[in-house]
Amino acid sequence: MAGELKSIISELTNAVNRKQFDTANDLLSRAKRTLLLQNALIPTPSTSPELIVLAREALELGALAAIRQTDAPSFTRYYQQLQPFYDLERDATNAKKVDPKNSQRSKITGLYLLLLLSSGDSTSFHTVLEGLVEEASLNGKSVEDDPFIKYPVDLERNLMEGSYDKVWRETNSERVPSEDFALFSNVLVGTIRSEIADCSEKAYPSLPISNAKNLLFLESEGAVMEFAQQRGWVLRDGRIYFPVEADTATRSEKDILVASGTIIENAIGYARELETIV
Amino acid sequence: MPTERRSLRSNNKSDTSSSANGEKTRSGSQSSSSNKDKPAPARAAASKAKSTKAASSNTISDSGMGEQRDQPHTNGTDPAKNGVNGSEDVEMEEDTAGGPTSSFNASKGRKGDQKMTVVVPPIKGSRKPGDKGQDQEDDVAMKGVEGEEPESEIDPKAKAIQDIKTNFTLLERAVAHFDPRFTLRVLRSISSMRKQITSDVLAEVIVDAYPKSSATASFLLDAVDQAGAFDSVGTSRMEVDADKSKSAAKEILPEIDVYLSILVQIYMYDRKDIQKGAKFSTGLIERLRTLNRRTLDSLAARVYFYYSLFFEQIAPLPPSPAATVTTIRQPLLTALRTAVLRKDVDTQATVMTLLLRNYLSTSHISQADLLISHNHFPPSASNNQIARYLYYLGRIRTIQLQYTEAHGHLIGATRKSPSSHSARGFYQASHKLLVVVELLMGDIPDRAIFRQAALERALHPYFLLVQAVSVGDLDGFLNIVNTHSATFRKDGTYTLILRLRQNVIKTGIRMMSLSYSRISLRDICLRLGLDSEESAEYIVAKAIRDGVIEATLDHERGFMKSKEVGDIYATREPGEVFHERIRACLSLHDESVKAMRFPMNQHRLELKSAQEARERERELAKEIQEGDIDDEDAGGDFDAI
Repeated sequence: MAGELKSIISELTNAVNRKQFDTANDLLSRAKRTLLLQNALIPTPSTSPELIVLAREALELGALAAIRQTDAPSFTRYYQQLQPFYDLERDATNAKKVDPKNSQRSKITGLYLLLLLSSGDSTSFHTVLEGLVEEASLNGKSVEDDPFIKYPVDLERNLMEGSYDKVWRETNSERVPSEDFALFSNVLVGTIRSEIADCSEKAYPSLPISNAKNLLFLESEGAVMEFAQQRGWVLRDGRIYFPVEADTATRSEKDILVASGTIIENAIGYARELETIV
Repeated sequence: MPTERRSLRSNNKSDTSSSANGEKTRSGSQSSSSNKDKPAPARAAASKAKSTKAASSNTISDSGMGEQRDQPHTNGTDPAKNGVNGSEDVEMEEDTAGGPTSSFNASKGRKGDQKMTVVVPPIKGSRKPGDKGQDQEDDVAMKGVEGEEPESEIDPKAKAIQDIKTNFTLLERAVAHFDPRFTLRVLRSISSMRKQITSDVLAEVIVDAYPKSSATASFLLDAVDQAGAFDSVGTSRMEVDADKSKSAAKEILPEIDVYLSILVQIYMYDRKDIQKGAKFSTGLIERLRTLNRRTLDSLAARVYFYYSLFFEQIAPLPPSPAATVTTIRQPLLTALRTAVLRKDVDTQATVMTLLLRNYLSTSHISQADLLISHNHFPPSASNNQIARYLYYLGRIRTIQLQYTEAHGHLIGATRKSPSSHSARGFYQASHKLLVVVELLMGDIPDRAIFRQAALERALHPYFLLVQAVSVGDLDGFLNIVNTHSATFRKDGTYTLILRLRQNVIKTGIRMMSLSYSRISLRDICLRLGLDSEESAEYIVAKAIRDGVIEATLDHERGFMKSKEVGDIYATREPGEVFHERIRACLSLHDESVKAMRFPMNQHRLELKSAQEARERERELAKEIQEGDIDDEDAGGDFDAI
């Protein structure tokens, strides 16, 4: 059985590396069935160490195949399935039993973090990160020691801070730790571009098109114009004029209307509460 | 006594309006109530210092006292009620007489009760909580002094045994009256007798309480290494036999079993017999699960608490993913389910907080979050459990970046946290987290927090942190984080503090925007220690978008121009803040009304007494008709009671 699994996995590695995803998917379902038959899809204390290693490898390949096909839900599923294996690994007492050498744990985790980041799920991002930080500090290290983890963490920090140029540089150059990480670059650039556009609307009264090109990390002025039209910006004399928000005078009038409504509501509320107290 | 009565009466306004008949009885009630009143402040003070549990109920008991003091005047004017309730009280007296308390104490204690209840029928319920809430201290102190006077010197061991036995009576009473407050009183006494618990004391109590053949007894005795206690104590003390036959005659309540087990658990914990304690607790929980008694709830909750405490101390310790604590999740979850099904609020609340603590200790935050979302925390749980729950909730929400929600929870936790000395750790921990959350929200915590004696030293690193954030000093901030990183890691706030970096930058930008009407991006970059001007531009743009500052950027000339600051009182903000404060006050009022203790079955008592009063009136009317009664006779009757 283990021999069969091994051959499937070596085929699978080839398929994933050569990007033959149809074959890979086939092989994956076969591998999973074999694992199920041996009751090794979820590790139990009685599962033999070799089998655990094989099962982990199969699932990791599955995760990588999923991310290369940009299939986020199935990647998340693989990630979750891998968690029990990684928990075994983290466990110091099992260190001898399970060989952590071939594990791609930090890579998979880094990819998962990046996925969360690009989908804007900062809650889950920080939840996962908190666990990693705890674990790292237990071993006397910090999370940033791991290049795969450091990458999404740095990105997140820069995003929150607003240093979009740094994010741009990170995603653009060869700083990406592995080619799989580069898959997210487009999503991230899209995210920061719309962030920058939001900020610019508020921060600048107007902006020359040439400068906007640099600010928004766009290739050409034509691209700027296209982008500007999408956002509904006004182009005049080679400058972008951002739409001013609705007239302040009318807004304040509306404000007062809304405000008086709430004030009346509040006052009645207080009166009622007082009534119940007295 | 007469002088005392007089002075009391002179204090009393309602006296003048009473009839001669009612006066006698009422004066009796006043003297007894005044006896109770006098020691109250001392007791309250003593208890405050005493235990974590006690703190919350003390305030309630005090209010109960106040209530009780007022009530006699209103009710005492109706002498017809008095005789009626006497009979009921006698029943209670009999109850206690059955117990193994020293009868002198019991009757002494009861006498006050009796007098009170006789005079004030409807108050009986409400007076009791006061009495009970009054805390163990009074029980222990009074009984300790009065009961052992004849034996001259007080032996701490004898006193401990005495106390434990007194608690048996209370437990029996709790079962008989189905009143959880007796049990709570017993639990509260634990911390005061904790130091006196030794294996000898426990063995003696167990031998006294159980017949030799009892399986529970041998289970408990094994645990304290006194398996042979029955033989050794039995031969040395003759009267044990008498005791044994007595206790064998009546059923030993499971409540007493569990109470003794808790004492054993505490004994083991204090002795650091962690492994043995864990084993014992596991066995105990197995036994506990088979019992389904509501009077056991608060005791069971305590058992689970120590159970989890033992496992927390067994290596490998929590932060490691293989920690021993993970093994007790399953039993705890089972216990939670059982508790919910049985509507066992005490255990439910305790086990939930234990589970949360368990998950957070190994940073399984998503599991903790799921637990919260699938469970409903009982709102009627004890104050301390609520405080714990709020703290964990605040912690989880902080990690999930939901600062506003976290802030609300943490405020609740710090307010509800007991102010007693022994619970200071919780107070500090919740304040640390609160400070960080406030900073993350962009607020600067009140300086007064750091001046509190209980917090000053523990929060010093946080104080420095607040200073750095409030001036927007990025370098200083990073310095502090580096120097105190060990402390922050220990407190579990390190990652949260790292998130503060952007807040420091924001504050810095804000300061600059306030002080300069126009500043070049280059200067901003230098002052904040940023890497590049581009970064500075984006950061400032983001700050403008987020509403941190009111300004515009000029890209071509590279500067930031601040807008005129408008009059804040022209906006809606003051109104909103005002509304928020009023709402806080109102909810505080609501909560305090909810926190008050209302006597159980009060309405039924009233109904009963009303009915009985009617009967009595009818009887009186009949007797008056027959003409063989006069006022004096009636008065004498009351005195006899």
